[in-house]
Amino acid sequence: MKNLVSLLLILSLASCNKEEFNLSLTKELSINSTFAGANFIIKIGLPENYDPGSQKYSSIYVLDGEENFDYVAEKCKQISGDLSKSNVLVISIGYGNDRSQDYTPTVTNAGGGGAESFMLFIKNELIPQIESNFAADTSRKSRVILGHSFGGLLATYAFTNYNDLFGNYIILSPSLWYDNEIMFRLEEDFRNNNKQNHQLVFMGLGQLENQGRMLVPFQAFYQRFQNHYPDIMLKQNIVSHMDHSGSKKPNIKEGLTFYFLNK
Amino acid sequence: MKIKNQILFIILLLNLAESAAQISSDNTRNEQSLERKLTIEPAIGIKPWPISDLLVSNLVQWNFKKHLSLVSHTSYSYNNAFLRDFNYIKTNYNYSLSQKLGIGASVYSKHSSHTFSLIAGIKYDAFKETMNNPEFEIFSASSSGVSPDMGIMYNLKIGAKKYFFSYRMYLPLTPYPIQTSDIYSIDTNLANFTLEFGIGIRLK
Repeated sequence: MKNLVSLLLILSLASCNKEEFNLSLTKELSINSTFAGANFIIKIGLPENYDPGSQKYSSIYVLDGEENFDYVAEKCKQISGDLSKSNVLVISIGYGNDRSQDYTPTVTNAGGGGAESFMLFIKNELIPQIESNFAADTSRKSRVILGHSFGGLLATYAFTNYNDLFGNYIILSPSLWYDNEIMFRLEEDFRNNNKQNHQLVFMGLGQLENQGRMLVPFQAFYQRFQNHYPDIMLKQNIVSHMDHSGSKKPNIKEGLTFYFLNK
Repeated sequence: MKIKNQILFIILLLNLAESAAQISSDNTRNEQSLERKLTIEPAIGIKPWPISDLLVSNLVQWNFKKHLSLVSHTSYSYNNAFLRDFNYIKTNYNYSLSQKLGIGASVYSKHSSHTFSLIAGIKYDAFKETMNNPEFEIFSASSSGVSPDMGIMYNLKIGAKKYFFSYRMYLPLTPYPIQTSDIYSIDTNLANFTLEFGIGIRLK
């Protein structure tokens, strides 16, 4: 009995640090997308002292928003404060279809190939709503996309196929193995257009992501960024002692810090 | 928070030891025949999450008291055994080495003994992959590093003779909750969870 209590104490204390973003600074809207064929719940995290009359704010679009919004919003508040930078709007994109449908570029056993439709939803429905209802800066360089795992794959797809939409990419543990590394083909196809643009790219991975599919495409894609994009601010981070999910939050923090430092 | 977790980890260790010491023996004669001063227990095993890592290990247990022991656990893991070639990504090598020491508490039943040990040590992981897709450039990348490795091991020994059946289950407590309170890091724990089966040898 004593041992059980000890174990429960360990687990309960360990879980007492759950972040939750300030509800009074969170707005919510719903978009029924004709492009993606699904309804998306969108949360918008506002900066403290949000003043739509006096300034425009940069925006971070967060994939897997239902999992990541609170942590990203809290970290943006903390990091922008620490670096004395203007905070941003944090746009959480909730699930519409299954993420294996919305975040994957082609149809395979692992995914439904709905990335193109999902990006059209972001471009033609989500961003216009955000930029008309909130004080969001409408320039490319003011938009960030952040994704992990299949979300990292989608963020990479946004880089290759929709590079005019976002100027900043936080790509975490991306599934670049997908469909025989199709993202490498897309990178080559769109490189001549995209290399003209200024880019900020952060890539993150866990040191223990050793299931035979993550490390080598990660490093190969990073090298492509290094070799073929002359106007890029580029950084990678490998989180020690962590696997796929455990590296997510440390890399979100590192990626946001890199973005705010260079904003 | 981390310091609190570590203090509670030590409290759990002491509770386990105290509980084992307080358990009264209803079957003293059986305990005496099952009690082993020194054993060596080689085994083979798997890491079930994912079911693709195979391992060989050895446990040495010294019972300095009837219910208390010092244990040493050594293992070599051949990782990603069944997915060495995936989507033009080839695994050149992928292995882990681990060495842990700890303290155990044993209870005895009619034909078996159950030992719960708190063990801690280090784990070395190394792997290399090569992407060899005919459409693109060939590219290789490798990684290696040492991580702390702490957790609870349950060991079942069945049989009273010199050779006996040994089963063990290792539940990692790193990185969650010892190193971090981020519940998402539990995937790293699960990747290091092991089940092992072998033959034990009573040396004393």
